[in-house]
Amino acid sequence: MADLRFAGVRKDYGEVRALRGLDLEVADGEFLVLVGPSGCGKSTALRTAAGLEEVTEGSIHIGGRDVTDVKPAYRNVSMVFQSYALFPHLSVEENIGFGLRARGVKPGRARDKVLAAAELVGCEQLLERKPFQLSGGERQRVALARALVREPDVHLLDEPLSNLDAQLRVYMRAELKRLHQNVGTTMVYVTHDQIEALTLGDRVAVLNEGVLQQLGPPDAVYRRPANRFVARFIGSPAMNLFPAERMDGSLHAGPFVFEARPNLPERVEVGVRPEHVRVDEGDQGAAAEVQVVEMAGNETYLHLKASDSPLVARVGADVRPPVGSTVRVSARPADAYLFDAETGETLS
Amino acid sequence: MLRDRERREYALMLAPYLVGIAVLIALPALITFALALTEYDLIRSPRFIGTQNFRDLWDDEVFRTSIRNSLMFILFAVPLRLLGAVSLALLLHRRFRGVAAYRTAGYLPTVVPDVAYALLWLWIINPLYGPLNLALGAIGGPTPSWLTDPRAAQWAVIIMSLFVIGEGFIVAMATRQGIPGELYELGDIEDASPFFMFWRVTLPLMAPTLLLLMFRDTIFSFQANFVPALIVTEGGPPPYATTYLPLFIYRNGFEYLRYGYASAATLTMFGITALIVYLQYRIVKRWRHAFVV
Repeated sequence: MADLRFAGVRKDYGEVRALRGLDLEVADGEFLVLVGPSGCGKSTALRTAAGLEEVTEGSIHIGGRDVTDVKPAYRNVSMVFQSYALFPHLSVEENIGFGLRARGVKPGRARDKVLAAAELVGCEQLLERKPFQLSGGERQRVALARALVREPDVHLLDEPLSNLDAQLRVYMRAELKRLHQNVGTTMVYVTHDQIEALTLGDRVAVLNEGVLQQLGPPDAVYRRPANRFVARFIGSPAMNLFPAERMDGSLHAGPFVFEARPNLPERVEVGVRPEHVRVDEGDQGAAAEVQVVEMAGNETYLHLKASDSPLVARVGADVRPPVGSTVRVSARPADAYLFDAETGETLS
Repeated sequence: MLRDRERREYALMLAPYLVGIAVLIALPALITFALALTEYDLIRSPRFIGTQNFRDLWDDEVFRTSIRNSLMFILFAVPLRLLGAVSLALLLHRRFRGVAAYRTAGYLPTVVPDVAYALLWLWIINPLYGPLNLALGAIGGPTPSWLTDPRAAQWAVIIMSLFVIGEGFIVAMATRQGIPGELYELGDIEDASPFFMFWRVTLPLMAPTLLLLMFRDTIFSFQANFVPALIVTEGGPPPYATTYLPLFIYRNGFEYLRYGYASAATLTMFGITALIVYLQYRIVKRWRHAFVV
């Protein structure tokens, strides 16, 4: 086991700058999730850590050792790819033991290790099969077993659950968490799925356009987003955002009116998460027209229009106002997030 | 269910191809079958002689030599051509500066007309002023008499065939490009040597295509030596060192006007080709567990 550190890592692909001076430390034994939209640089960061991409500037350290110019094979990391990268012509046993065989481990010892890794992920009954005979979830397990078998310092996982169906993804998420608790190895997990990020990570690093936006525990990233991007990206449905106008000591943001704090910048935006939008059929709050009602099983998403501003409210499953009807919306001042409209930074 | 109008349209579109197959392949094949049982010289009417042509072939020393030459040609040319195509594919499947020019160069000999290609080689292997022997002599190598030494002439025809591998090269390259790059990235992370990756990953994953290429090249190679043997070595040097089955058939048919005899030889060549491909298929079937992907 070892820690992993990115020190001012920049990665350019020609004119495209994928990483812009990434500084990030992953503690020994930590499960860190790199999350961000497509093209934000998260997979590039993972690939530079693996040594599959050279860095343009900066350095990468594993276990205190500068591995920036070290070949992938000598970094003692493993990688799980989105496609699993299983060898189609090899059996599950041969796939799991591929790295051991490549490194010249004796067959008897390799088999013991393969069995142990397979048992750890629950695929010991599949050893004789070929990948085409496996389901998506089983392939996932084999890829994980292959990553575990060599007992590397750091596991790098590049969107390993994204090819699974929704139900299996939830199940494998819990399996992955359990696995990390069992082996305790440092894991860096890349995903664009914020639910995966929040549920899996000890800490979450949010990336956008090659820049680290926020690093912290899932709860902190959700409740105290560092900026407008994080606030909008983390949380589903996304946070409602309104440009605010100051009038008579109040902030008017869409349908909401809050008391204006002192020392606010010239232009401010106000964010309210959908679950914090209170929907009332009485006369409290601003009038909002119901435009779309989305059933999501145990909750309902109401797409509303109030004061010419679209907004989404997350309400209980039983709340289903008819489309076209008018409801009243309000929010507590404590649930409002204020952002500097120029910089996007959260105003504390 | 297809409607009548659609049926007519499909039939119309298929017609040129079907007519072509019928007139250019099926009909001549049937006529060849029939002619093989006759004596026919284009002047007199065909005379039915039963299996006499086949019995004559069995006793014909030149025919036996041409079979031996053809088999030896296939034995060396097919593996070497496959090796060349795969080597080129492995060298040129990646993108790098100038790769398009290299790929074009690799494919170019395949599109050169056979006769022009043969005439070019007639110059290349000329023992007096040909660049091949000049180059070999310059580095102190052997300078064989390509056109007069039987063994050297056979090698000359094989060497000529090794540069006409464009189709195999393209198919092998497409196959190599179809292997996901992540498998090789995993190899990098797992410290797999290039040889290990080639032997354990690249070759098995390319194997189904390579086997297909081998079958195809075996069939092709039976016929591919006709123009070089006719133009460059003229079937010689004596005794019939480069008289392969196609040249034997051509000479009997078009020079000696023994159409029935040539037809019987053609059918024999067809039978030998089918037998070899069948044997290859049996071997592959026995080893298929190694290639199943």
